[in-house]
Amino acid sequence: MSTIFSEEQRDCLQELINVAMGLASDKLARFLNTFVHLQVPAIELVNSAQIPAQFDAQYNSIEAALVSQGFLGSDGLRGEAIVLYQLDNAHRIAALLGYETDSASELEMLTDISSILTTTFLNGLAGQIDNQLSYSAPRVLSSRQNNVTAALIETACHWEMALKVDISYQLIDHSFNCDMLLLIPGEAVLNIQQILDRIVEEF
Amino acid sequence: MPLPVLICDDSLLARKQVRKSLPESFDADILTAGNGVEALAILRSQEIGLVFLDLTMPELDGIGVLEAIKQDGLDCFVIVISADIQPEMQKRVTELGALAFIHKPVNPDKLIVILKHYGLI
Repeated sequence: MSTIFSEEQRDCLQELINVAMGLASDKLARFLNTFVHLQVPAIELVNSAQIPAQFDAQYNSIEAALVSQGFLGSDGLRGEAIVLYQLDNAHRIAALLGYETDSASELEMLTDISSILTTTFLNGLAGQIDNQLSYSAPRVLSSRQNNVTAALIETACHWEMALKVDISYQLIDHSFNCDMLLLIPGEAVLNIQQILDRIVEEF
Repeated sequence: MPLPVLICDDSLLARKQVRKSLPESFDADILTAGNGVEALAILRSQEIGLVFLDLTMPELDGIGVLEAIKQDGLDCFVIVISADIQPEMQKRVTELGALAFIHKPVNPDKLIVILKHYGLI
């Protein structure tokens, strides 16, 4: 990412993401009625073509879920937010939330959690750059073994760049890890750089 | 005499945001630290009147700094400025002796109200 963003731009984006993460964690904590230990998320901007290979090792041998939600704002800000997580993690969260264990409510639970994580996070991010986003309904692209990589290949090929945000939520009695990917068109990177420069200049 | 102030945050942008939010009438000598370890080194080597403290930081987080300040009996006011806005966290930092808790990104008006309330400006 250092080749794409200057150090000042990277620092600025990291801080915007930290604030957005804080909002998402607070929402999750209220939803689950627990305390969420917040960590600094690692962020990285990569070519979207690299994405399936990067997550293959992490998710291909376990039951995982992949939920996608499109977003659209002003000034050319648009993309697709992907949340990836292990299903056994999700089941523990579902139990806390009181969901039934049948597969219909599993889909409902996955979209609910993703929507908390994604929408709150992206609203927090957009709010800091004076943008407003609208969203498509979340879609569960994969919730069973072995098709996560296929779903990622199918999804990532529509976009040029991906902003990876490695998120780790530690709840009091267990941890919940997930990965968030913001797939964006190539020209959005230039737009993001301009926004970051403007903020850096302002302070 | 200017008040020695320490701004502790791992983000350069956040440190600048705090600095810029301070009113011109606030007579301060400002030092900065990029994590909790750096902050404690400064706090233990010189007199600091007021600390603006972030919570989520590498090396040593803000909670660790507050615990050390309490344990060492360091004499300084602490205002926490954090993205971690959970009520439970606000309660924790208050219990550890922080004067106030401000959400990020810092709102200059709120900061001024707090500084006035404690007679710092």
